[in-house]
Amino acid sequence: MKLLEALNILESVKRRKGESFSCFLATGMNALHLGTFLRAELGLIYPNHKIDIQCGLYGDFLGNLDRLAAADADCGIVLIEWADLDPRLGLRNVAAWSPATCVDILLHAKTRAQKVQQMIEETCQHMPVVLGLPTLPFPPISFVPGGQASSFEIDLKLLVQSVASHVSQWTQVRVLSSQQLDSVSPFRGRLDVKSELLSGFPYKLAHASALASLFALLIRTPTPKKGLITDLDDTLWRGILGEAGIHGISWDLDHHSQMHAFYQCLLSALSNEGVLLAVASKNEPSLVREAFKRKDLILSPDSVFPVEVGWGPKSESVTRILKTWNVSADSVVLVDDTALELAEVKAAHPELECIQFPSKDSVAIYELVLRLRDLFGKSVLSQEDAIRSNSIRHLHTSAGTDGGVRAARNSFLEQLDAEISFNFNKSPLDPRALELVNKTNQFNLNGKRYTEASWHKYFLDPASFLMTVSYKDKFGPLGKIAVIAGRLNRKLNVDTWVMSCRAFSRRIEHRCLEELFAKFGIDEIELDYLQTDRNGPLAQFLMEILGAAPSPKFTISRRALAAPSEASRRFQETTNG
Amino acid sequence: MDEQQKRLANCFYAVFPELSSEEIIHASPATVPSWDSVAVVTLITVIEEEFGISIEEDDPAKFDSYQRILSYLQEAERKSQGPGDVG
Repeated sequence: MKLLEALNILESVKRRKGESFSCFLATGMNALHLGTFLRAELGLIYPNHKIDIQCGLYGDFLGNLDRLAAADADCGIVLIEWADLDPRLGLRNVAAWSPATCVDILLHAKTRAQKVQQMIEETCQHMPVVLGLPTLPFPPISFVPGGQASSFEIDLKLLVQSVASHVSQWTQVRVLSSQQLDSVSPFRGRLDVKSELLSGFPYKLAHASALASLFALLIRTPTPKKGLITDLDDTLWRGILGEAGIHGISWDLDHHSQMHAFYQCLLSALSNEGVLLAVASKNEPSLVREAFKRKDLILSPDSVFPVEVGWGPKSESVTRILKTWNVSADSVVLVDDTALELAEVKAAHPELECIQFPSKDSVAIYELVLRLRDLFGKSVLSQEDAIRSNSIRHLHTSAGTDGGVRAARNSFLEQLDAEISFNFNKSPLDPRALELVNKTNQFNLNGKRYTEASWHKYFLDPASFLMTVSYKDKFGPLGKIAVIAGRLNRKLNVDTWVMSCRAFSRRIEHRCLEELFAKFGIDEIELDYLQTDRNGPLAQFLMEILGAAPSPKFTISRRALAAPSEASRRFQETTNG
Repeated sequence: MDEQQKRLANCFYAVFPELSSEEIIHASPATVPSWDSVAVVTLITVIEEEFGISIEEDDPAKFDSYQRILSYLQEAERKSQGPGDVG
């Protein structure tokens, strides 16, 4: 982004009247154009928000960390440059260089690094923090020639890496990837000596722009995709199974098809991280079953479900997979080597991301793997991520792919040996709860989303409560599958209620309300309902209880929940056959 | 207004969005309340970026009005073109 472009974006951001999003940038430099770029990038990411960037004081890095900790901001950025660890490492504060100076700088830097770590750990308790490690060239203080790293330089770099390593353990802290920055901002094009001397801003514009863009992406990481559907021939492996046979397909160095193994490695990793994997392939089912028995397959066949193999249109296979997963097309990626197949699927599912597998182009496959990593990347892995795929498989293999015939559902539910547990602990806040709130659409009371900071602020109210619901049955655990957030004043208000689609059809939603009545000893609950484009399943449940379509801010009584309405009875009778 | 003047006016508008086209032509610290040191640094950087030039470290002091900056750019352009054809 050019500075002129950023300034023009700011002009439109200033005119916004919506909610504001504030970010505190803690650094020792003059934030100047970095602040401008950051505000513009955030303005693009939050298209309806006013954007406020607070910067603290020039040259007072540690003081700015204190200010960050006390700031009322939605997020914080800590940007360390070498001069922030000791001013003698900068251009504007000079001191005689000598081996003794290096020792002294290292001691000084250690103390400051400890303070940085401590302040980040403190601040991340109430707001998300992004950390940027030094991006500028190390100054030529040591006596060694340029091609050699001095022990002084290595020790200082170790120091900042150690800080990063410690704070990255916190779920609320995200450390900027130096590798990613290197790929978009060449090292030699970063330092602007003239600007540093003139205004205390040490970055060339292109570097400031790249840095701001990456910071903004860490502040609001894109919603990761949930599922990947892969083709088989010339995608998961090299070769056409129907022609080459089970032992003619390959994914190894000997057959110059190693990058298919690399792709399988990624799929295997994605599966372990909770991404749903499926196969859609025009192939002979019996052959695929045999191929999946090959011991050298890197991707475990157990991690792929469903496997849609046949000769019908691929779009129909994709439709069935989406139905089985119960996820929308915009959360899913299809990888296939055939442009025609991709186009056919795209026509039927325009929101699906269709990517062509560049078979026989190793470099392009490597790039594809990087792209897929980004599409499915998430800052934190939860326990639920690890069990998602299995729970979907169990649900469909035990109840049939259509969720089971309703007439058989009640007896099916009774045989589940279900265990539901409720947790009302709101300190420390479980990151899974916010994740669920922000990604659930179908069983969602009103579609309300929260930033990490606004979620934390919500629970600072002593009247607030958080209920997280975990579930397991004889087929295994589903993990935390529902979240209710509300306030208990004169009555009980529910502001947020979401439930994972994996938990549908188990009457967990009824148990949630029963638990609230029991826990708080109340007779009525007011729910802040709002119809959205996608919360039909929740509306259907509410109709079942109320006997009518829910209105905004409606009330449910204990009695209504206990005695299903006439409409509900009709619904039950109809669905029970 | 020629192309160079338009581009310079765009730079001014980005830094001083409150100014009209007419006010930009007469802009100087005396006529623009928000003309402070940060604005000057931003203005210089935007002009460097827009015109692909590097302003000498001693020159910023000369950047005290739209008209003087325009003269600077015109002079820089003349210098970059060198002496004209002689025959």
